Amino acid sequence: MRILSIDSATEAASCSVIEDDNLLGEITFNYKKQHSVILMTIIDNLLKNINKTINDIDGFVVSKGPGSFTGLRIGMATVKGLSQGTNKPFVSVSSLDSLAYNLAYTDGIICPILNALRGNVYTAIYCFDDNKLKRLTEYMVISLDELIPLIKEKNKPVTFIGDGIPLFKEKIKDSISNVKFAPTSLNFVRASALGELGLERLLEGEYDDLYTSAPIYIRKSQAEREYEKRTGKDINE
Amino acid sequence: MEFLVNNENMTIEIGKKLGSLLNKGDVICLNGDLGTGKTHFTKGIAKGLLIDDYITSPTFNIVNEYEGRLKLYHFDVYRVNDPDEIYAIGFDEYIFSDAVSIIEWSNYIEELIPDEHISVTIEKLPEKGINFRKIVINHFGNRYNYVKGITL
Repeated sequence: MRILSIDSATEAASCSVIEDDNLLGEITFNYKKQHSVILMTIIDNLLKNINKTINDIDGFVVSKGPGSFTGLRIGMATVKGLSQGTNKPFVSVSSLDSLAYNLAYTDGIICPILNALRGNVYTAIYCFDDNKLKRLTEYMVISLDELIPLIKEKNKPVTFIGDGIPLFKEKIKDSISNVKFAPTSLNFVRASALGELGLERLLEGEYDDLYTSAPIYIRKSQAEREYEKRTGKDINE
Repeated sequence: MEFLVNNENMTIEIGKKLGSLLNKGDVICLNGDLGTGKTHFTKGIAKGLLIDDYITSPTFNIVNEYEGRLKLYHFDVYRVNDPDEIYAIGFDEYIFSDAVSIIEWSNYIEELIPDEHISVTIEKLPEKGINFRKIVINHFGNRYNYVKGITL
């Protein structure tokens, strides 16, 4: 099976083509969100350079979020268009899953953090269990102060990855002792990591519905926020 | 600080002085009743940002984008029923970008406004005359201390 994957959940715009166990090509730009301008161009470029056309693609994978609202919509709209036009299935995979997968087989826990602005991060906690990526928490949008105790209670070495690192590195180092950070060469979303996770699902016959599939944005509803403001309590407590 | 003006050119002039001082990522909240001159004030800011385009109110399209010395996002949230609607368009990605953001009727979406911002309020002064306006400029956060340098 040959799939085209696209990740536009963060500053980076990335696309790749994977054929079974083989990555045929990948283009990634990690420079000023400009997905609407470059995404179609890099897809076109990639296909041309591996001597394929869109009709050679058997399925699509797209980042589901959380992440940049605008980026997620551009990715989702692009892949839905390609999927409908070619009549091939697509599946959406969380950008956090794909970031964690960049650090495959890391010991301890893996914590991707994406800058969600206003001092918050999009995050979830992962580990590799029997060589499989396993998510240990929900997808969350929380402040770093809320995240740190969640990490500490796991009581395991932790590796952080994601565009939230530059912003929070010092604070993380000060609060957690056994901590590592992804090297620069791995520290961005890669369509190939996303694609590999998506390919597994497509092979199992799992795919998204063209009309109902939507990005995950994650935000508390206004009612929840008002309740919390009024009572000073988290609604889930 | 407060300015008393009696014609739209003076409103534009104050806007222009503010516009010439703005830095990347600055957020300006602009409030005042219909017809007080919010759009004229924005035209002034655009001049100060060296934007040549004709500025119109984005009442129906929520946000307009302009290119100048800095990029400008001009919001008008008058038609918004619920701050969530604005949040959902990716508001944070606009206001926390490198562009300058002007938000007309920002009082409708107070919970989304960052603590650090410039607040401009324009009020009619009917007792003085039909064209008289009081323009009040306040700033929150040291990054906006330059506002003190504005004089008419």
